[in-house]
Amino acid sequence: MPDSILLRGTLDLLILKVLILGPMNGFEITRAIEDRSDGSLDVEDSALYQALHRMEERQLLEAEWGVSDKNRRARYYRVTRAGRARLREESQRWASSAKTVLRILGEVAR
Amino acid sequence: VTPEPGIRRGIRRFFRLAIRSASLTANDIDGEIDFHLRERREHLIARGYSPEDAGAEARRRFGEIDAARARLLRSALRHDASATLWDWERHMDTLMQDLRYAARTLARSRGLTAVALLTLILGIGGNLAIFGIVNAVLLQPLPFARPERLVRVFDDLPGAGAKNVGLSVPELVDLNERAGVFEGVSGLISASAALAGGERVERVEFLGTSPNYFELLGAKAAIGRTYGQAEWSPGFLDGVVISDALWHRQFGADPSVIGRRIRVDEDPYTIIGVMPPGFRHPGQTLSGDVDIWSGTGFSADPFPTPPARGVRLLGGAIGRLKPGLTLQQAQRRLDVLAVDLQRTYPNDYPSRLRWSLRVESAQTSLTGGVRPTLALLFIAAIFVLLIVCVNIASLLLARSTVRTREFAVRKAIGASSARLARQVLTESVLLSLIGGAAATVMLRVTQTRLLALIPPDIPRMNEIQLDWPLVAFSLVVSIGAGILFGLTPALRAAGIAPVRGLQVGGRTGGAQSIGQRRARSTLVVIQIALSVVLLVGAGLLLRSFAAVLRTDPGLDPDGLIDGQVWVPVPNHPEANKYLTASQQAALAKRLLDQLESLPGVTRLAVASSGEVPFSSATSPLQIPFSLPDEAATHENDHAASFGAVSAHYFDVLGTTVKRGRVFTEQDDARAPYVVVVNEAFARRFSPRQDPVGRRVQTSRGIELEIVGVVEDIRTAGLDASPEPHVYGSILQFPTVALAVLMRTHTDVKTAEVALTRAVAEVDRELPVFGVRTMRELMSASVARRRFSLALVSAFAGSALLLAAIGLYGVMSFLVGQRSQEFGIRLALGAPPRAIAGLAARPALTLALVGVLLGLVLSLIMSRWLSALVFDVSTSDPLTFASVGVLLVAVATVACLVPARRATRVSPLDALRS
Repeated sequence: MPDSILLRGTLDLLILKVLILGPMNGFEITRAIEDRSDGSLDVEDSALYQALHRMEERQLLEAEWGVSDKNRRARYYRVTRAGRARLREESQRWASSAKTVLRILGEVAR
Repeated sequence: VTPEPGIRRGIRRFFRLAIRSASLTANDIDGEIDFHLRERREHLIARGYSPEDAGAEARRRFGEIDAARARLLRSALRHDASATLWDWERHMDTLMQDLRYAARTLARSRGLTAVALLTLILGIGGNLAIFGIVNAVLLQPLPFARPERLVRVFDDLPGAGAKNVGLSVPELVDLNERAGVFEGVSGLISASAALAGGERVERVEFLGTSPNYFELLGAKAAIGRTYGQAEWSPGFLDGVVISDALWHRQFGADPSVIGRRIRVDEDPYTIIGVMPPGFRHPGQTLSGDVDIWSGTGFSADPFPTPPARGVRLLGGAIGRLKPGLTLQQAQRRLDVLAVDLQRTYPNDYPSRLRWSLRVESAQTSLTGGVRPTLALLFIAAIFVLLIVCVNIASLLLARSTVRTREFAVRKAIGASSARLARQVLTESVLLSLIGGAAATVMLRVTQTRLLALIPPDIPRMNEIQLDWPLVAFSLVVSIGAGILFGLTPALRAAGIAPVRGLQVGGRTGGAQSIGQRRARSTLVVIQIALSVVLLVGAGLLLRSFAAVLRTDPGLDPDGLIDGQVWVPVPNHPEANKYLTASQQAALAKRLLDQLESLPGVTRLAVASSGEVPFSSATSPLQIPFSLPDEAATHENDHAASFGAVSAHYFDVLGTTVKRGRVFTEQDDARAPYVVVVNEAFARRFSPRQDPVGRRVQTSRGIELEIVGVVEDIRTAGLDASPEPHVYGSILQFPTVALAVLMRTHTDVKTAEVALTRAVAEVDRELPVFGVRTMRELMSASVARRRFSLALVSAFAGSALLLAAIGLYGVMSFLVGQRSQEFGIRLALGAPPRAIAGLAARPALTLALVGVLLGLVLSLIMSRWLSALVFDVSTSDPLTFASVGVLLVAVATVACLVPARRATRVSPLDALRS
C-alpha cells in the first residue's frame, strides 16, 4: 500500500500519463512506469493494482478483459474522458506546486 | 479486446448508470494477479534469471500475495458499495432539499395550494374514475388464458340484409372439423330455465354449450369440476356447472353442493362444479349473468334429430383460434369454407342470400358497443384535466411575480437556472402528487356509490376495481399534470436575470410583467377554447337526449306493466307437457283466461318474450322470408324479425293500427295464418303497394297473409331506428318464452305478487320473472345515454367554472397593473363607465378569441361524436351559437367585479404607489 497521500497522487498521475498512449494491461503499465521512473518509484506491484481498481471505480479508467499479444487473457485499462480531464488538472497542479517547492528550495539553497 | 455483453456503454453513460456492470469479482482479481506474475516471471527470465529465481522474485515484487489479494477484494467491495451509495445519496439529498423547500412554499401560500388541490382532485379524480371503467372494460384482456385467441362466430345473410341469423348444428360441426382455424369451437344457446327445488320455481339464465366449452376457455371450477370434451354425448350431459352467484343465492354457498341433484326445466341434473366468482360467460346473455352451464352435443332431444342444416337454433359459437392465426387469416379461411358449403348444399344456402360466416374477437364482440361512449367520456375527462392544469399554471405564474425577488436572490448567490426550474417543477409535481393521492383516496371512499351510477348494461362491470393499474395510472397522470402545469412557471423562473430580477421584483411593471401577461393571456385563451369544446359536446349530447325522449315510442308507457313467464322444455318429448303447438296455444289461452281476472288490470295480453319493448339486451333473430307475389324472386331474400302476440296486444300497448286489422281470438290454429307488419316493414318491402292482402312466405314454405299494418314500436330502444317486424298470432305461433303485458292501476309490487299467484294456479312449474313497469324499461334503455350526458355535462360545467375563474384572475391582474393609469384617468375626469370598459376590453377580447378558437376546434372534433348523437347534426348551429353566447356572458360576468374595482381606484393612492 502506498504510504503517503503524495505518493498515491503521484502514482495515479503516472498511471494516467502512461495510459494516455493507449490501452494497456496491468503488467504493461507496471513496466512502463518502471522504465520511465528508472525504478525510483519502487512500490510493490500489488499497490499498482489497487490504484488501478480505485481509479476504475472513480471512472477515471475503464477496464475490459481482452487477449494479450502472447494470447493470454488480461485486463486492459483505458483512460476515460474524466481521466483525461483529471490528468490535465493534476499535471498543472503538480507543475505549479513543484515550481513553488523548487522556488522555496532554491531560496533555501541560496 | 472483446467487449462485455450487456447494456452498451454509451447508453449506460447517458443514463448515468454505473459503467461497470458488476463489481470486480474474485475471479477478475485472481486472473489479473496470475497474469501479472506470469508476465513478470517471463520478463525476468528474459533478463537472465533462472526459472525458479524468476518465480520467487516475481512474487517478492508483487508483495505478499494472499494479503494483497484480500486487500484488493476488500477495497473492490468497499468501492462498489460507496460508489453507488455516493451517487444515490447525492441525488436523494438534492431531491429531499427540493421537496422540503417545496413543502414549505406550498404550506406558506395556503389559499393557492387549497384551490390548486381542489381542482386537481376534480381533474385527476375524473380521469381516474373514467380510466377505471375504460381499463376494466376495454383495455384489460378478457380474464381467460390467451384471451386474444378467443373469437365469436356468427352467421350473416347479407343478401337478405340480415346479420347474426343463428348457427345450425351441421354448421357447428363444419367449423370444428372443416374450417381448420380453430383449436376448438363451442356452440352457444342462451335460454331461460326453470330451476325447481327452492320455495318456488326460479327462472335462471341457462347456457347450453358444447362439452369442450370450459376447455377452450381454459377455465377451471372453484369447487368440483367442469365438464369436458371427453364426456361428449348427443343430448345434454347429466353434470351441470353453476355460477358462484347461483351457488350463494340458491344453495347457501354450501360446499357439499357437489353431487346434489337439481331439476332444471323438469329434467334431473347433477351439480358437478361451481365456477369462481369472477367467471363470466364472455358473450351476450338474455338477461344478467349465466347461472347454469350445461354441455350438449346439440343433436339429440330436445334438439331436432337428425340435425338440419337450415335450422339455426344456436345463437352463435365461441372458438379458440389456432396459435399464430390472425383474425383476418381466420376470416379468409371461413370465407372459403362458406363458399364450399354453399356449393355443396345449394338448397340450404340460396345464392342470393350470400350466406357467410363472420369471426370477431370475443372482446370486441362483448365490449365494442360501449367503445364510443367510453372514448367520449375519457376525452372529456382529459379535457377537464387540461383545463385544470392551465388554471393552476396561471395561478403559479401569478405567484411567480411575487417570487421573482426570491428567485433573483437565489440566482445571485449561485443557484443555476436548471436548479431553479427543477425547484419549481418539484413544487408543482409535489402539488399534483398530493392531489392525485387525494383523488385516489376519494375514489376509494366513494367507490361503491360511483359504481352504482354506471348503467348496468355496460359489460364487464364486475371487473371494475381500484387496483394497481389504476394507482399506477394515477401516479403517471399526477406527475404528467404536475410537469404540464409547472413547465411555464419553471421556464419563467429559469429565465429570471439575477440583477434585473432584483430591481424589478417588487410589485408590478417591467419586462417580467409583460412576459407574465402574455403567458397568462395565452393560458386563458386555451382554457376558454377547451371549455367551449366540452360545452359543445355536452350541448350536442343534451340535444340528442332531448330528441330521444321526444321520440314517439309507439306505445303509451304509463300504467303499463310487463312480466315474463318461462315454460320449461324438458329434454324428453314425453315429459314435455307443452311440446306441440296446440299444447302451447292452449297454455296461452289458459293464461289469458286466468289473468283476465287479476285485480287492478284493465287490459292484458300475452306475447312472445321478445315483444316486450325495451327489454331485450340482444337484437332479435332475423328470419329470412320472401314475398311470392314479387315476380323477380321466390327465394328468401328478405329478412325481418318475428314475434307472436295475443289479440289485445296493440290495444294494451296503445299502439295505433294504421291499416287493416289486428288479431282476434279467432286467429287460431284452425283459421288461415295471418300476420300484422309494422310500418318499417311496409316502407322497406312494400313501398308502392298496400301490404294488406299480400303474402309472406317463410323459409319453411308456410304462407302468411298480411292483414294489418301497425305503427312502429321502438322495441330496440328509442334511439334505434325501427326495423321491419312481423307479428303473428300467439294462437297460431305459440312459444315457450312468454311475456305478459298489463294495463293496470296498481303498482309493480302488487302486480308481481298477483301475476305470480295467478300463473302458479295455471301451472306451478312456470317461473314468473322480470316484472317491471314500461317506464322502468324505457328509462333503462336510455341509461347509457343519460349517464354519458350527465358526466359530460358535469365535466363541461366544471370546465366553464374553471374558465370563468381563470378569466377573473387575469382580469384582476390586468386591472391591478393599470391601476395607476385608471387613477390618473379618473382624476382627469374620465367617467367610471368608460374606465370599466377600458378595463374589461382586453379580457373580453381574450374571451372572444378563446370562444372562436374553441368553436373551430369543436367543429373539427364533434365529428367523432357522430356515433352518439341522435337526430342532431354534429355541427348543430343552435348548440354552437348557444355555447358561444353562454361563454361570452360568463366572461362578461367574470370581468364585472375587476372592472368595477377599476372605477374605484383612488387617484391619490394610485399616484402615490
